[in-house]
Amino acid sequence: MLQYVNVNIDGAIIKATKGTTVLDTAIEYGICIPHLCHVPYLSDIGACRLCIVEHVVNGRSKITTSCTLNVEEGMVIRTNTERIRKLRRNLAELLVAQAPNSRAIQDIAVRCGVKEVRYPFRNEDCVLCGRCVRVCTEIWKARAIGFVGRGKDRHVDFPFGIRPDFCKQCGSCIQLCPMTIPPCNGPMKPGEERLCGQCESQMIVADQIPGSCVWCELGEGFACGRYA
Amino acid sequence: MSHQSLEQILDGRRSQPNQLIEVLQDIQENYGYISEESMKAVSRELGVPIIEVYRVASFYKAFRLKPAGKNVLTLCMGTACHVRGARLLLDQATGQLGVEPGEVTPDGLFSVEYVNCLGACALGPIVTENGSSYHHMTPGKLRKLINTLGSYRVEETQHVSTQ
Amino acid sequence: MSRLNSYRELEHLREQLRSKRKDITTTIMICGGTGCHASGSQNVIQTIQEELSRQGLDSKVRLCVTGCHGFCEQGPVMVIEPGNLFYCHVSAEDAFEIVHLTIMQGEVIERLLYTDPVSGRKVRTESEIPFYVSQDRQILSQNRGVDPCSIEDYIVAGGYSALTRVVNNGFSPEDIIAEITSSDLRGRGGGGFPTGRKWIECKEAHGDEKYVICNADEGDPGAYMDRCVLEGNPHLVLEGMMIGARAVGANKGYIYVRNEYPLAVKHARIAVDQARTLGLLGENILGSSFSFDVNIARGGGAFVCGESTALMASIEGKVGEPRPKDVHTAIDGLYHKPTVLNNVETWANVPSIILKGSSWFASKGTERSKGTKILALTGRIKNTGLVEIPLGTSIHEVVFDIGGGAVNGNAIKAVQTGGPSGGCLPVGKFDLPIDFDVLHEAGSMIGSGGMVVMDDESCMVDVAKYFLTFLQNESCGKCLPCRVGIDRMLEIITDITEGRGRPEQLDLLEELGDTISQTALCGLGRTASNPVLSTLRYFRSEYEEHIKDRKCSAGVCKALITYMVDPEKCNGCGVCLRVCVHNAITGNKKEVHVINTQLCQKCGICRSECKFDAIKVV
Repeated sequence: MLQYVNVNIDGAIIKATKGTTVLDTAIEYGICIPHLCHVPYLSDIGACRLCIVEHVVNGRSKITTSCTLNVEEGMVIRTNTERIRKLRRNLAELLVAQAPNSRAIQDIAVRCGVKEVRYPFRNEDCVLCGRCVRVCTEIWKARAIGFVGRGKDRHVDFPFGIRPDFCKQCGSCIQLCPMTIPPCNGPMKPGEERLCGQCESQMIVADQIPGSCVWCELGEGFACGRYA
Repeated sequence: MSHQSLEQILDGRRSQPNQLIEVLQDIQENYGYISEESMKAVSRELGVPIIEVYRVASFYKAFRLKPAGKNVLTLCMGTACHVRGARLLLDQATGQLGVEPGEVTPDGLFSVEYVNCLGACALGPIVTENGSSYHHMTPGKLRKLINTLGSYRVEETQHVSTQ
Repeated sequence: MSRLNSYRELEHLREQLRSKRKDITTTIMICGGTGCHASGSQNVIQTIQEELSRQGLDSKVRLCVTGCHGFCEQGPVMVIEPGNLFYCHVSAEDAFEIVHLTIMQGEVIERLLYTDPVSGRKVRTESEIPFYVSQDRQILSQNRGVDPCSIEDYIVAGGYSALTRVVNNGFSPEDIIAEITSSDLRGRGGGGFPTGRKWIECKEAHGDEKYVICNADEGDPGAYMDRCVLEGNPHLVLEGMMIGARAVGANKGYIYVRNEYPLAVKHARIAVDQARTLGLLGENILGSSFSFDVNIARGGGAFVCGESTALMASIEGKVGEPRPKDVHTAIDGLYHKPTVLNNVETWANVPSIILKGSSWFASKGTERSKGTKILALTGRIKNTGLVEIPLGTSIHEVVFDIGGGAVNGNAIKAVQTGGPSGGCLPVGKFDLPIDFDVLHEAGSMIGSGGMVVMDDESCMVDVAKYFLTFLQNESCGKCLPCRVGIDRMLEIITDITEGRGRPEQLDLLEELGDTISQTALCGLGRTASNPVLSTLRYFRSEYEEHIKDRKCSAGVCKALITYMVDPEKCNGCGVCLRVCVHNAITGNKKEVHVINTQLCQKCGICRSECKFDAIKVV
């Protein structure tokens, strides 16, 4: 028997299923909260921090990730305040400065309102979203890859750096990886990186109705929960 | 280094995943580093996926995945030592030996490590070497220490005077 | 000693032990803590022991090897009672005279007395030493008479009386929590969270399996008070944990000690074994229905494991990656069970609150910061060491009255408090009281109690860089703002310290720091920008000087300084030429030497070897 709770998201009183997260609830009801490491059928780890919202408790706002926040009766959430938009924009700016060579990342940057990148671009192959690790661990249970090392040194790897025989090459990790989708105009050469700003998410529409779903697809094949 | 065998270390801890860090610590203490073989054995005996063992071994600074040099110079980089010039000591060690922290010199004699506070702040800057500690170090004293240690070819390390 | 089955048996044991010591006329307390150990206290202890035996004084003189006294720079340290005589820098060669002159004849050995660096005078007794006078050493003083490896010492000194009170039904769990709550004790590890509130939350949480944990990870570089308390008086911490466990209904506890404190691990293990032998840990403690046992868990060398969820993950055998705390660990903690995690010093305060009452505790301190706090006072002052003061004491009093002011006659510039999560406060703010909320508002925090004093030879931009480097090394790397944000802040600060800074980078630094502090997943990330933001707030001119003038006044940032021989002071002795490993110095004997700035790597060797202070930094 499903139980429901009423939550207030951006002023809308929503009947949410108990045991689900604020992010899942919002997406279900057409309120867009940008996200990267969240995948509908995998556990949520709150690593990318893009899905942050303001959780209002006793008159004070706590900034927390909506993917790790479970709905509760009477909860008040704000997803698109000026403060959240600025923080999300800064986070997306950091993200695209790390990995401009991915259409998905570029789309996220535009969707989050990044207009300029104030850091020197780097060309990382991996943004450590953890989607690959989680699908290998949770869906296929192969446990052939994992996060290794710490801090700046953190990276995804096989045990001892060698692909084990229990990796059955299912390809799920590659399918979910945002870095496998090159920018529309092709990969950017070192020194020529820039914010491409050409996402089909059409920023103008999103500007007018903040938070609404614009069916942006966040990069082909990279569908968010609305398409699950 | 006391010598317990891998069997002895695993004794009483089999099939207990939460003992992973304790087991790895004992292996580190007894063998000086965690080898691929020992990680595979731990994975089997404790019932922890090999990727998890590898993850934990690579996450914690206490574990070395490669053997260390004969003389391990550990420099304290804590705030109190930093304010007294510990940075210059690190530069001296890496410059004189030609290795980065965590690496071993080609002749296998030295490796340089740093730690983020040994808790003896009033005596800093501190350098420890295989059990002996030297305090109020300066780049000049460290240079002399390295030269003296490098000239020893004996198995036992000896406490060296830096005066 | 056999198992105690009731509190009466404990009191009986206490009487017995005390009467066994009736014939002791003199007690020599020698510090065997890590600091004094490094200064050779083991030899002192051995030679004094031998001499006492040789003179047949074993039954009259008690030699007590204690834990850290907190005055490490003066070590090895010794206190002799009666008379409160204080000797410092004691070496094994002094042992004979100490036994024959002081112990046997009551004479004072002048050369072993402490010399006050401010007045220049010799001080006889411990209580007169200016360093100790302004302190209120509630916890630290308990280290003096107790050998950490002896549960007898602890019992003779009155230990486990608070435990007695809570297990003989005079004090219910609700009473304990009420007492702790009204004392207003706030967490001593850095968070400053009201302890009573945490305990209530855990007590009321659902679940029949609960845990209490002692956080002895003490990762803040420059902080060593937890080491001192746990190494020197582990039973005090254990007693606090027992009381906490009784209050919230926990039956299992852990002491999580960082890997780099082997002596603390050893002493904690001995203490737990001794408590188990007497039945103070285990089933039906002192004949009551309360059962509780403790295990020691070691850290693996990760600062982030000082964070509660990372610490718990580590005990579970996993990597120390924090997780979101929308639900407090008091409800969902170790193995997802309700868990109370408190710092070593917090636990150490509990027994005296139970014995002396919450009003006694709350009589010290300020409106919202009660009790005493141990600080690790280090840096460029005359007296460094562990200091325990009532909260509300001003920074000025700690730095000048207790610390004795600047060393080498330099001008004190700033004090860094709270470790890598804290900030730097300038001299102009030294009148601020040491209070959780006041320091937080000023842009810093008490944190675990680390207080590093800096003078004008410290570059504040370099200080920010140092902490960012530290945090970058220690970040678990899971979340974007911490992993990448700290790296980008470090990139900008490195540009600034190497002469590539641009003015607009300061605003970017502030905006980035602000973003990280609001979006990071755990406390490490959220406080990571404090060192940068506080130095920008109070020392912006130093940043601007690095950017606009490409200059580092403190003479620290290598790219912006030059090493030069001072022609006034150089007498041509040639030492620097010989020691320079980069062959950058030339000169003839008895003539002023010259440094080739192209080859000079500013490694500092020549400066540390020159006996005439003739090498200066410009």
